[in-house]
Amino acid sequence: MIMAEEKREEFQLEEAFGKIEALLSKLTDRNVSLEESFALYQEGVKLLKRCNEQIDHVEKQMLLIDEEGQTHEFS
Amino acid sequence: MAKNVYSVGQVNAYIKNIFIRDVVLNRIYVKGEISNCKYHTSGHIYFSLKDESGAIACVMFAGNRKGLSFQLQEGQKVIVLGGVSVYERDGRYQLYAKEIVLDGEGALYQQFAKLKRKLEEMGMFSPQYKKDIPFYSRRIGIVTAPTGAAIRDIINIAKRRNPYVQLILYPALVQGEQAAESIVKGIQVLERHGVDVMIVGRGGGSIEDLWAFNEEIVAKAIFACKTPVISAVGHETDTTIADYVADLRAPTPSAAAELAVADYRQLLGGMELFKNQLTDRMEQKILWYRQRFQNQKLLLLHASPRYKLNEKQQYAADLTDKLRQGMLRKLEERKHQVQLYAGRLEGCSPLKKLQQGYSYTETKDGKALQSISQIQAGEQMTIHVTDGKILAYVEAIEPLERNG
Repeated sequence: MIMAEEKREEFQLEEAFGKIEALLSKLTDRNVSLEESFALYQEGVKLLKRCNEQIDHVEKQMLLIDEEGQTHEFS
Repeated sequence: MAKNVYSVGQVNAYIKNIFIRDVVLNRIYVKGEISNCKYHTSGHIYFSLKDESGAIACVMFAGNRKGLSFQLQEGQKVIVLGGVSVYERDGRYQLYAKEIVLDGEGALYQQFAKLKRKLEEMGMFSPQYKKDIPFYSRRIGIVTAPTGAAIRDIINIAKRRNPYVQLILYPALVQGEQAAESIVKGIQVLERHGVDVMIVGRGGGSIEDLWAFNEEIVAKAIFACKTPVISAVGHETDTTIADYVADLRAPTPSAAAELAVADYRQLLGGMELFKNQLTDRMEQKILWYRQRFQNQKLLLLHASPRYKLNEKQQYAADLTDKLRQGMLRKLEERKHQVQLYAGRLEGCSPLKKLQQGYSYTETKDGKALQSISQIQAGEQMTIHVTDGKILAYVEAIEPLERNG
């Protein structure tokens, strides 16, 4: 179902934030190699980009839903 | 006359004892209508409770007044909690009131307490069933009245925090007989439709107004709902069954909107911060590695054969230099010595002696003439002076005694 798919993606936003936090702390670890650091950085940037994409920037009007599950514009 | 005669006091005391021992009479709820109500200056309140069938005298002592939260008025329907006992002086029984509540409210409250206990025992308020409210919801379902302050507040706050979320309202009846069913329907419709989180609630009102949120079917619908539900009923002080069973209780509809809708600017700010942190830390990392590289390079350089060779060459050059210096010094020394000798030699030069007026004489066979024994009269000799030599013949020889 489309809804389930969307829902799963939304959870990723929080997950992504958690992941970014984790790789930020890894970046400060001196035992992490430069190569790995580049990979971490790239992953972070990619995650942020995806986070941005996750946020729908279209302004929404409130919808009304009836008993049959049909939505209508709210006036 | 009968054998056993009792005093009035004894009879009253006996009856009182019976009343006191009676479990039911000691703690009893009595409902009725207030009449003959008198607030005494002592703080005690005297009144009667009556219904169609009769009346009972009641007293609420000043010490129990905290059990009454309103002004008693004639004709009010109330429920009195108290104990029935005997007033010995008048020989009559009366109800000693501890708590008085208005009848409707009292009944509702009892119903509330009963349902709360029941659902609690079923584990429906248990934290283990509470679902987390999503971090970022895109679709927010709302079950409330389409008019009124609650939906307005929710829309305003949601729009302010994040205009990009989709609000979907199920316009529900939130008070009256059909309210509970309508709310249940709304929860089910929204769940089927698919939302990330649901706000179920209404604005403030009396306990009767809020009653739908204390109905068992509403509680069960919230509990069964797989989508996280935020309850938002009335004001902060109103707590309903729906609040206990919801995944999160918001004190007001506005607060519910704050809890459901992630602040868009804050989110962007957080992402910006992440971006800067990522870049900063990467730059630091690179800097650190660059420094490390420089260090390693230096270390490697020192360990390289070229460096060692250079070092040896330098040493060899130094040695050469020292050697040359030593040699030069030796030469100088010798030169100096030669000069000294030359000086001394000069002092011994025969030429110099000649210049001082001495002369050098040699025999004809070229030997230095130093004694009269080397020559005889008539023999030739050569006398050397500064500017030439003189050939001469010996005239005579005279030995001479010289001292010193």
